[in-house]
Amino acid sequence: MNHAIETDQLSKQYGDVRAVDNVDLRVKQGEIYGFLGLNGAGKTTTIRALLGMIRPSGGSVKVLGQTLVQSGRGPWARVGHLVESPSAYPELSVRENLDVARRLHGIQNPKVVDDVIEQLTLTSYADRKAGTLSSGNFQRLGLARALLHRPELLILDEPANGLDPAGLVEIRKLLISLAQENGVTVFMSSHILTEVDRLATRMGIIHHGKLIEELDADQLEKLRAKHLEVRVRDLVSAYAGLQSAGYQPVLKEDMILMEEAHVIEHPDDIARILVNGGTPPTHLAVKQQNLEEHFMQLTGGIK
Amino acid sequence: MNNFTSALWSEALKMRRSKVPLFTAIGLSMVPLAGGLFMIILKDPEAARSMGLISTKAQIVAGTADWTAFFGLLTQAIAAGGLILFSIITIWVFGREFSDRTVKELLALPTSREIIVTAKFIVIVVWTFAMTAFIFGMGLVVGTLVVIPGWSEELLRTSFINILGAAALTLPLMSFVALLASMGRGYLPPFGWTFFTMALANIAAIMGWGDWFPWAVPSLFSGVAGPQSSQLELHSLIIVILTGIIGLAATFYWWRNADQTR
Repeated sequence: MNHAIETDQLSKQYGDVRAVDNVDLRVKQGEIYGFLGLNGAGKTTTIRALLGMIRPSGGSVKVLGQTLVQSGRGPWARVGHLVESPSAYPELSVRENLDVARRLHGIQNPKVVDDVIEQLTLTSYADRKAGTLSSGNFQRLGLARALLHRPELLILDEPANGLDPAGLVEIRKLLISLAQENGVTVFMSSHILTEVDRLATRMGIIHHGKLIEELDADQLEKLRAKHLEVRVRDLVSAYAGLQSAGYQPVLKEDMILMEEAHVIEHPDDIARILVNGGTPPTHLAVKQQNLEEHFMQLTGGIK
Repeated sequence: MNNFTSALWSEALKMRRSKVPLFTAIGLSMVPLAGGLFMIILKDPEAARSMGLISTKAQIVAGTADWTAFFGLLTQAIAAGGLILFSIITIWVFGREFSDRTVKELLALPTSREIIVTAKFIVIVVWTFAMTAFIFGMGLVVGTLVVIPGWSEELLRTSFINILGAAALTLPLMSFVALLASMGRGYLPPFGWTFFTMALANIAAIMGWGDWFPWAVPSLFSGVAGPQSSQLELHSLIIVILTGIIGLAATFYWWRNADQTR
């Protein structure tokens, strides 16, 4: 399997602080990898190491098959990036900012600038100075620069920052289409969990510099799965009644959880069984565990 | 267009769109204007006496009202004032990348960091020489309007060479300003450095070691300490060149190897 990003025991130490601690990442080509973490968890430091902006204290980084052995040298013609907050030359227009990026990427055809302006719906701002843009449009400009040279790999740090709800949907669609139709690998960090949840085909959670969990598509699907929460006064009788009706209830603390598709679609059937069995429900609700809960459980438990 | 010309084009565009060239030009235009004022005062001793202090100052600075003194003033201003104004240009070219946080857009590119830094230095060289030529040209206009005596084509040629020489001796010192703007990631550290070196240059010149201190050499060359001081010896020239090379090498090394966290 070819990996777009591969790190082995990647570490970065700043004085006494171990910002990144032995991180092993494997990002397959064509996948959207969500990189989650609290503020200060080590997301941006990892991204800077992936882009050769900082020298790792230990371990190695391979991007698109090329080992980064020296700062500044890498397969950058094939990589687009957006690191932390976007930046641009405020005195230059949107078009001029992108033209600077085009030339520094060695692209001869000036039409790519117009194409990416249109792709990021910046047409009406093309001749406006970057310093006068709203934060959302400034973010779009940053994304436009990352996409300008049609990269194979996109490394995006908090790409949803500053975007309004319509912008979020638009960028989400764009990233999905880039991955699905053009085979672009997307590595994106975020602390906006719902955004990552909607986009990522795989994700890693970093906490205190350590990659504490990776979730593949199946595990993510499981996390996104719905369940029925049942609360009754007599938990044991209700549990036995549901079992004898052919269901597979799970006891969890003070409630019963049920995950069968039929149960999710017809919770009224469960209510009827419980009432008929003499254990009427005091609470019956279809719930979906989300990434946020999972994330909080993971990161909240680790000090 | 190859990577180098692309980087040069980008740096030139940033410079053209900025207001800094205008501000530095306005700042430097004070030099020939002030020189012209001194010449007016010196041409008319009666008026000079009635003006009190300013005439004394004019006599101290310029001496006599002729083209030799006027060009000497311009050269001294480039040597002393150039250290500040050329520093402003250098600080802007390098420091703005950190202040505007655009430096991260220059690091992971097919165009190498060395090429980008080279383009920046070339823009600084062109910009500072353009400013020097601007001052000289404006000086010619002001001097003609004031009708200063003692004009000759030979004087014009030697004065132009002198003023370019003062700028050329100041330029290598800018490499350390670029280094400080990069290491300090912004504007303040290199400004501090500029004023620190100017103060040290004054002390070195007063103590008679100015010819061994690179930041004092341009002023000495301009004749600020008397006409005989403008005869620079080889060791002073070597020290300035070596300082420039060390600053350049350190700036390139820093851009290539330092952790970029902004």
